Amino acid sequence: MTRFGTKRIGGLALAVAGITALAACSSSSSSSGSATSSPSTNGAITQPGSIGEIPAAGTPSGTAGSISYALTPGGVPNWILPMPTSSTNSVYNVFNFEWQMWPPMYYAPSGSTPTVDPSLSVANPPTWSNGDKTMTITLKPWKWSTGQTISSKDLLFTFDMIKAGVKASPANWSAYVPGYFPDIVTSMTTPNANTIVVNMSKAVNPTWMEYNILGSIPIMPSAAWSKESASGSIVDFTNTANAAKIFAYLTSQSKSVSTYASNPLWQTVDGPYKLSSFNDTTGAFTMAPNNSYSGPHATPMSTYVGVPFTSNAAEWNAVKTGSVDFGYVPQEDIPQLPQLKGLGYNYYGLPDFGNYFVAYNFKDTTGSFNAIANQLYFRQTMQHLEDQAGQIKAYFNGAGDPAYGPIPAFPKSPFLPANAATNPYPFSVQTAMTTLKNNGWNVVANGTDTCAKPGTATGDCGAGVPAGAKLAFNLIYNTTPPIPQQVEDLASNAKAAGIEIALSGSNFNFMIQNYNDAASTANENKWAMEDFGGETNSTYPTQFGVYNTGGSGQIGAYSDPTADSLINSSVTGSNPNAVTSEASFFTTNLPVLWQPELDYTWAWKSNISSTEPAGIENLTQYDNTPQFWYLNK
Amino acid sequence: MTAYLLRRLGTSIIVLIGISIFVYLLLHAIYPSPARAVLGLKANNAQINAWNKQYGFSRPVIEQYLSYMNGLLHGNLGYSYADNQTVASLFAERLARSIYLSGISLLFAIIIALPLGIFQAAKRNSLGDSALTSAAFILYSMPVFALGLILIQVFALSFPLFNFEASQSTSIWTVIGDWHSMFLPVLTLTLITVALFSRYMRSSSIDVLAQDYIKVARAKGLPERLVLLRHLVRNASLPMITLIGLSLPFLLAGNLITEYLFNYQGLGLLFYNSLGKEDYPVLLAYTLIGAVFVVLGNFIADIALTVADPRIRLA
Repeated sequence: MTRFGTKRIGGLALAVAGITALAACSSSSSSSGSATSSPSTNGAITQPGSIGEIPAAGTPSGTAGSISYALTPGGVPNWILPMPTSSTNSVYNVFNFEWQMWPPMYYAPSGSTPTVDPSLSVANPPTWSNGDKTMTITLKPWKWSTGQTISSKDLLFTFDMIKAGVKASPANWSAYVPGYFPDIVTSMTTPNANTIVVNMSKAVNPTWMEYNILGSIPIMPSAAWSKESASGSIVDFTNTANAAKIFAYLTSQSKSVSTYASNPLWQTVDGPYKLSSFNDTTGAFTMAPNNSYSGPHATPMSTYVGVPFTSNAAEWNAVKTGSVDFGYVPQEDIPQLPQLKGLGYNYYGLPDFGNYFVAYNFKDTTGSFNAIANQLYFRQTMQHLEDQAGQIKAYFNGAGDPAYGPIPAFPKSPFLPANAATNPYPFSVQTAMTTLKNNGWNVVANGTDTCAKPGTATGDCGAGVPAGAKLAFNLIYNTTPPIPQQVEDLASNAKAAGIEIALSGSNFNFMIQNYNDAASTANENKWAMEDFGGETNSTYPTQFGVYNTGGSGQIGAYSDPTADSLINSSVTGSNPNAVTSEASFFTTNLPVLWQPELDYTWAWKSNISSTEPAGIENLTQYDNTPQFWYLNK
Repeated sequence: MTAYLLRRLGTSIIVLIGISIFVYLLLHAIYPSPARAVLGLKANNAQINAWNKQYGFSRPVIEQYLSYMNGLLHGNLGYSYADNQTVASLFAERLARSIYLSGISLLFAIIIALPLGIFQAAKRNSLGDSALTSAAFILYSMPVFALGLILIQVFALSFPLFNFEASQSTSIWTVIGDWHSMFLPVLTLTLITVALFSRYMRSSSIDVLAQDYIKVARAKGLPERLVLLRHLVRNASLPMITLIGLSLPFLLAGNLITEYLFNYQGLGLLFYNSLGKEDYPVLLAYTLIGAVFVVLGNFIADIALTVADPRIRLA
């Protein structure tokens, strides 16, 4: 998912958080809380880095109601097949819509914690053998809404659909990475009704596979969907030709937005909800509880209603008039948070799992910027000039948290490296100036620094930086607030240290297509730094594709052999915590300039509770689990 | 008259083709392919290439344009890859809503602004004229967004007389009947338009009142009411006909801000969202339909002028 652009799930793997570890029960009184939640004396839940609190759960009324949830402007569903294409893998299609009907094999997040929640997962954790080349997946005895048990045949069907889709077009499955699943699958067998064994031609990191690949795959009902037309009979999907036709049929039905609620295909679900109405003009939808749902939920479950909005202003008006039960708080309305209690709402905010950054262009030869950016001391200098605390206070209205690497300190990830918990390069113009002086630069505060000692020895400017080179370059930024204020603050601090940054505003789409070394080689010398927003992490937050040499998501052509090696270990090594080492390296090596995180804040009516605090915490991660929501007495 | 109509039709077709080429090339100059924006930053080359091939962006731009025009001539406005629907269905769902919102506001604006302008001209420099002029200036200089927010705050939040959002029904008849929800958006658009039209009408009426035939009518002893109704209204309305004709394209696009603010899914908002998604088929169709409205609006205004003023002849 890209921040400030379309809210998108990472193309490599699902990237959001979810629900706290839950007891596998269906009682409305179940409670466990997330690993990082802290109950206060009055039972309210808060977390480090959060704003607001989740009050102690109220007494259930015992009656089902209708609970409405505000959809983000432009975030209405337009894809229902639980195998999102590259162009439809937004959080709005997947988390808010598809996963309500077909949850993934391995559900993440767990509350606001980016990790798999076993209780919401359809399958038990996979077991690995043969040097991480063979995985065995055992399904839980969950049921389809038809009453049939989810079987290994359904999982085989799902994998065959992925294979058929990717064969037709690599863009047909958002989680597809060439050279990995399903390309490396050599055979699949189903030794019994609830087990599948997948053999692969090369080893993969088990955690990466479970969290990022399998964690993005819901299981599809073969007994209902394995057909080539609406009136056709069920066919053998293991036949490649049949599989291609089935996939084409399912895709065509998913493109028929106006028939989502009436198409019998989509009524066979294993998730907590069934679609009962869908407005293809506005994107409004209503989901009724799936009475056969096997996972944990409140009893009774209420109807889940997705309410679309054309703007933040319209959505905020709905909150102020009490017209929506769950509504997000637009960033510009954060100062109005104190009013919410009086309006009958609670609120809670936390950054979603990801990172904001200003990218360096390691190929920009203008003024030898490529050589300058290659110097770690320069990137450290720039990081010292980033006043995260000041920006959070001044531009985020306090609703944000500092972040020092690809894995932010908040929400807390189990993979957070120790060096990213506190700022390794705290804000200090003086330290920045000293660092430059110690590396051969003639520093002129409020002027322009120049390289006085070219060379590669200690104390020199570094390889490729000529004598007289100036610390003067451009920075192109997305004009969506609060980015303009943030880069102006950075430029102001930099100026104090003798670094001249020429700011230039642009828009997100133009930037990612034109100021992107991978996508637009002709424009490599047109930008030195850019700030388009940031990226949401995958649950297993490897930066594979983002900072590995030649990665498809590379912006500024960062390249480092250590980084490549660490990323490779995260994806193919056997260490389940390899990604921690990777993140630790990026926290100190600074492939980009890390920026603070904005909170994603939600308000909900105080007459609504969740059987699990996680059922509200996860709203901050673009996830929602309405099966836990209930009306209070 | 027939020759005139044929000439106008020919010119209109040339204008529309020119607009289509210009917009198509302009979009391609800015974004040769929207694949990166649609698929996301992490999309790999295989996915981008496959997507470009699927939607025809791997072909030369001229070929793409001709293919698009071929589809257009066969009634196919294209397929929105961002919304997963045909452009025709997207437009069909929203057109009636947009036309209703803009149309009803335009109608009210005409009904209010014309007599208001005449009144101000007839009572020029009076207290009433000054008050209405001040009000018109305030409304005209106020952004639609600000006016809408004020109306929502006052009439939906502070004094909850009306709904804060427009009707969410997909049935146009329900929308039309839902005055509780439609009052504020219609009022917002109407007030802004009244401010504009009344100023034009006032100026036009002042000009006409200075004409000799008005003086003659008065000298004959014709009652002032008849002077205004028989001699002023028709002549003073001539500039208004052109102005209203030029306002017809607003039936399509003029309510973007109002739709945005009042949670109303219409064509203006569809265009705005499509811009963000680089949804070429929607952008092209919208621009072309907008051009048709402009050409049509001008044409209707020209015809209406000949009816209102027999001295004007089409040639």
